[in-house]
Amino acid sequence: MRLTSILVAAAAAFVSTSALADGHLPDLGGKEVVIVTENAYPPLQFVDGDGNAVGWEYDAMTEIAERLNITVTYENISWDAMIASVSQGQFDMGMTGITIREDRAEVVDFSDAYMRSEMVMLVRGDEDRFSDAAGFAADADLLIGAQPGTTPFYVGIYEVLDGDEANPRMQLFETFGAGVEALKTGDVDLVLTDGTAGNGYVAASDGGLQIVGGPLGTEDFGFIFPKGSDLVEPMNAAIAAMQADGTMDALNTKWFLDYKIGQ
Amino acid sequence: MTPRPGTDKPDFPWWLIAIVAFTGLFIFQALDDPIYQQVSVKLIKGVKITVFVTLVGFFLASVLGLLLAVASLSRFQILRQLARFYTEVLRGLPILVILLYVSFVVAPGLVQGWNYIAENIGLDPIRTRDFTFLWRAIIALTLGYSAFISEVFRAGILSVEEGQVEAAKAMGLNGWQRFRLVVFPQAIRTIMPPLGNDFIAMIKDSSLVSVLGVLDITQIGKVTAAGNFRYFETYNVVAMLYLTLTVTLSLLLRKLETKLRSKYP
Repeated sequence: MRLTSILVAAAAAFVSTSALADGHLPDLGGKEVVIVTENAYPPLQFVDGDGNAVGWEYDAMTEIAERLNITVTYENISWDAMIASVSQGQFDMGMTGITIREDRAEVVDFSDAYMRSEMVMLVRGDEDRFSDAAGFAADADLLIGAQPGTTPFYVGIYEVLDGDEANPRMQLFETFGAGVEALKTGDVDLVLTDGTAGNGYVAASDGGLQIVGGPLGTEDFGFIFPKGSDLVEPMNAAIAAMQADGTMDALNTKWFLDYKIGQ
Repeated sequence: MTPRPGTDKPDFPWWLIAIVAFTGLFIFQALDDPIYQQVSVKLIKGVKITVFVTLVGFFLASVLGLLLAVASLSRFQILRQLARFYTEVLRGLPILVILLYVSFVVAPGLVQGWNYIAENIGLDPIRTRDFTFLWRAIIALTLGYSAFISEVFRAGILSVEEGQVEAAKAMGLNGWQRFRLVVFPQAIRTIMPPLGNDFIAMIKDSSLVSVLGVLDITQIGKVTAAGNFRYFETYNVVAMLYLTLTVTLSLLLRKLETKLRSKYP
């Protein structure tokens, strides 16, 4: 009897691994996965005009959940608390367009990249002192605003300024929106943002803001998991499958091109 | 002797008229603007959380504060020392720092400790995430404010002259009767104004729970502003909601103070 059950278990294990090797996805048998996010990063996840939490990542997660057979529940958390609580294993996964970085990978495991983002330069509508990163860097009077520890901060320091993280030309703000307000009022002269959010702010500003220059450094976004999580591999398999069959492209079209945000 | 201005009979509340007029004008304008409508509908949900966090936190902090005040006036030195230690440490830390400590050090520690006990008595272990951020936030506010409130209570109790307690003893009143009939009615007049102050301050400090992602007025404001790109409009509504809460509470407290003053002249 015991031998039979071991054999059945071994056979089941064999079937599931061989299924994975065939390019099919593992079946996690309805496993409960608690995901934390902040809903403050449109269009990846945000609260729409009707108060619903929506976005690219929610759509992608719904698709992944179906393919891997997992049961997803969402919890709200702030960005400040996200990496800490996921690394402590308080939640199974975090998603909010988190740039894959080595220092972060010391405390959490990353999935493979599911999105590549480019930064654009957001400036006041009447800005005429510079039109690209080099022009901005050359004038010591010009200031840049960013949230500490975010991608715009690192791109600002390493690709626009001189690589000194304590450079006084970098002004720090608690939220991205506060940085944009500071830009409008003239406290800073440049804010970096990914293209979507940048276009959203330009559209909502009535000519008060514009985007100049070409895109800056590219960033890869990944989901985060507690160290050693057994979810990373199935997630990577699902991401790869969705990239291969065009699901990701369809999501990009839906949220980055078709969706009119903040209107 | 002429009484201090404003104490003999209350001033006509022009300031209140001004606030109400200002709010009314704001609401009148906001009703017409779809952005304000949208923002308001979302933020109203946060009012419930803000009120809950503040009420529960303030109640717990008051109970803990009273116990601390009594301990700090205890006959036993060990209690006095412990109360002082607690008060000095918690009062000396910013609420924001307490909040992060409770969330990422105290809460996981408590859960671990509980699971250790649960394992030995055969109960199912709980997970850290079952200890919600809402309650971690409430505990942090309770810890921080209990230190302030204990000082308010202590000052109130000390404001009653010792001679009165002696006299009450001589009249044969027991400990509870002395507190209930002699100390409390006089202490409460000293306690009420600063206690009310702490209450109002707590409504505002409850906004710090947004750091953890608890969906109070501030966090919903932050999330809403991130989604609609209307930073200024969103925070206008945030400010209005907090003002409505704090001014209402302030009025209620004034009323209570007047009532107490006439009850215990």
